[in-house]
Amino acid sequence: MKDYQLAWKNIWRNKRRTLITAASVFFAVFFALVMRSFQLGAYDRLFKNVIESYSGYLQLQHIDYFDDPNLDNSFEINQALIDQIRKDPNVTDIVTRLESFALAAAGSHTQGVLVLGIDPPGENKVMNIRNKLVKYKITPDAIEKIKNEQVSDHTKKLLDLFKGEAYSGETRLMIDFGISDSDSAEILPLIRRYASFNNAFLTGKETNDVVIGDGLSEYLKANVGDTIVLMGQGYHGTTAAGRYKVKGIVKLSAPDIDNIIVYLPIESARELYAAPAMATSAVISLKSNDDDDILQTGNRLKNMVSDPMTIKTWQELNALMVNQMEADNRSGMIMIGVLYMVIAFGVFGTVLMMMAERRREFGMLVSIGMQKTKLAKVVSLEMLFIGLLGVAAGVAGSLPIVFYGHFHPLRFTGEFARMYEDYGFEPVMPTMLPDTFYLWQIVVVLIILVIAIIFSSRKIFRMNVINAMRA
Amino acid sequence: MAVVEINNVFKSYHDTEVEVKAINGVTLSFEKGDFAVIVGPSGSGKTTLLNLVGGLDQPTGGEILIAGHRLSELKPSELIDFRMDHVGFVFQSYNLIPVLTAAENVGFIMNLQKWPKEKRMTRTNELLTSVGLADRHKSRPSQLSGGQQQRIAVARALATHPEFILADEPTANLDSKSAESLLDIMEKLNHEEGMTFIFSTHDVRVMKRAHRVITLEDGKIVSDDVRK
Repeated sequence: MKDYQLAWKNIWRNKRRTLITAASVFFAVFFALVMRSFQLGAYDRLFKNVIESYSGYLQLQHIDYFDDPNLDNSFEINQALIDQIRKDPNVTDIVTRLESFALAAAGSHTQGVLVLGIDPPGENKVMNIRNKLVKYKITPDAIEKIKNEQVSDHTKKLLDLFKGEAYSGETRLMIDFGISDSDSAEILPLIRRYASFNNAFLTGKETNDVVIGDGLSEYLKANVGDTIVLMGQGYHGTTAAGRYKVKGIVKLSAPDIDNIIVYLPIESARELYAAPAMATSAVISLKSNDDDDILQTGNRLKNMVSDPMTIKTWQELNALMVNQMEADNRSGMIMIGVLYMVIAFGVFGTVLMMMAERRREFGMLVSIGMQKTKLAKVVSLEMLFIGLLGVAAGVAGSLPIVFYGHFHPLRFTGEFARMYEDYGFEPVMPTMLPDTFYLWQIVVVLIILVIAIIFSSRKIFRMNVINAMRA
Repeated sequence: MAVVEINNVFKSYHDTEVEVKAINGVTLSFEKGDFAVIVGPSGSGKTTLLNLVGGLDQPTGGEILIAGHRLSELKPSELIDFRMDHVGFVFQSYNLIPVLTAAENVGFIMNLQKWPKEKRMTRTNELLTSVGLADRHKSRPSQLSGGQQQRIAVARALATHPEFILADEPTANLDSKSAESLLDIMEKLNHEEGMTFIFSTHDVRVMKRAHRVITLEDGKIVSDDVRK
């Protein structure tokens, strides 16, 4: 009989204890993996939202602009440099922006806004903003008309709950309203008929049109066709002021940006801020957004540009958010640490009980000729089997939730969703697909097992056979 | 030929401030084919002497030779191998491995010695037959009576043809029928195969069958009666 066969038989001599110990490992691994997956998925989503709706993965900037973001730290477009950056194997495009702040007014409402002068066709390629245009808006009028049609009471209640909500696509709308695929044929035509929202994105040829975020539109009570006034400080202290018509409304998934964003063609922005041919940044879009590729591309581009220009990565551009997430990440890790402390005690409890219970047997085995190293090996295999049973079950149990949660993210609705948005987060909790964090959980359990194995082996090597036989 | 030679052996314990002499200058030898019993009141040193002879404990003085090997010269891991190869143990409380079948328990030491499977199975069957339990080879210890478990323990001890078998109170937990049956088997093995048995016991049934009765008191031999 092989050692592993004896170990496997031994773990089932006390089925209940083995199952309880394996279950404690299972629950710890399962909860740690699911918690971690939600946490990392939420960070990933948050970063993606901010990166894909605003900052991009890499930006070309004036060296002083990041610390002092005003128009005086803008730069003149150097076409030769832009062309050189475009030649990088991981770069797909580069679009220039002129960005500043202004006070926006519509009627009696005013709000500090982020004015983003963009090249609309280029920005569409890089940020896909056109797809974020509001397609449906649940206005009171639309609600009234839909309610008059044959819809369920549940949908009627949801219509009230999502009053004023804007949607740039039907997927989110179907989830919020709990519309199943089978119901969609009945309800979606009504929503398309009564809640469709007519607006358009910038083409770049406009001189007096802007596109604003849905949150800003709600605050200013400015709808498509309404006029807003922008006032601020221009290049080198000039006064900037202009009157613009709202051409379109976008729904950005990062509420912090959605609440303050005003897009206008870069030429209009240059005119507003009296900064001809200037730009504050150029967003670089990449083929591969993998962390390593971003880092390597950033390093290559940094070597290409010289003072006073620099390349900033998304981590540098969103340093505050990165730090906040890092702090949150640590608190999550402390929680998981506590969880593992609990299972460590569980595993040690089992080791102690098992050693005490089988002391006489261990003494007998050594007395009839089993080397202590062999005995320690069998006991170590027993620990390993129990731990690995728990780990395997924990990993297997977590996978369906993690995969489902990734492709069907948890979406908060109602007040809870609003609370999330008030804090600047999208009310969506996706999970992250298995990655290195899975390996880490397994490594942590293995470390606990190794400590338990060292402890039990030490006990075996120090065992006095005669005393053990008297136990 | 002496299988075991015990020359002026001492064993003291210092568990308290007082030194306890468990074995006090014992000189003794056991020949091949002995069926010997060590008797004496509780605390006389029977079990200590058996532990010393089995290499489970080290004497504080004197020396023990088994089949020409000086036990004091062996390292702890060599002693374990030595026990496996030369000494068979039968314990008072059977001490079978509960997760293994009767056959697996009998084959356990052969397994440690890495015997080929076929040879191991043949020897196991032979031993199970000789202790009258061939039909229970698949039973777990919990499915066997005390007497049957002890017979399996005897078969395990005999498996690798040891020099001698040390049996510490082997009948203490058995009813009289099982005890007689066990002793019959041991006696038969002694007669037919010349296996050396050294018992420590209080049981008069064992004493009656023994060819030699060694009486210990306060760690000293007070009598050594040979009845052959």
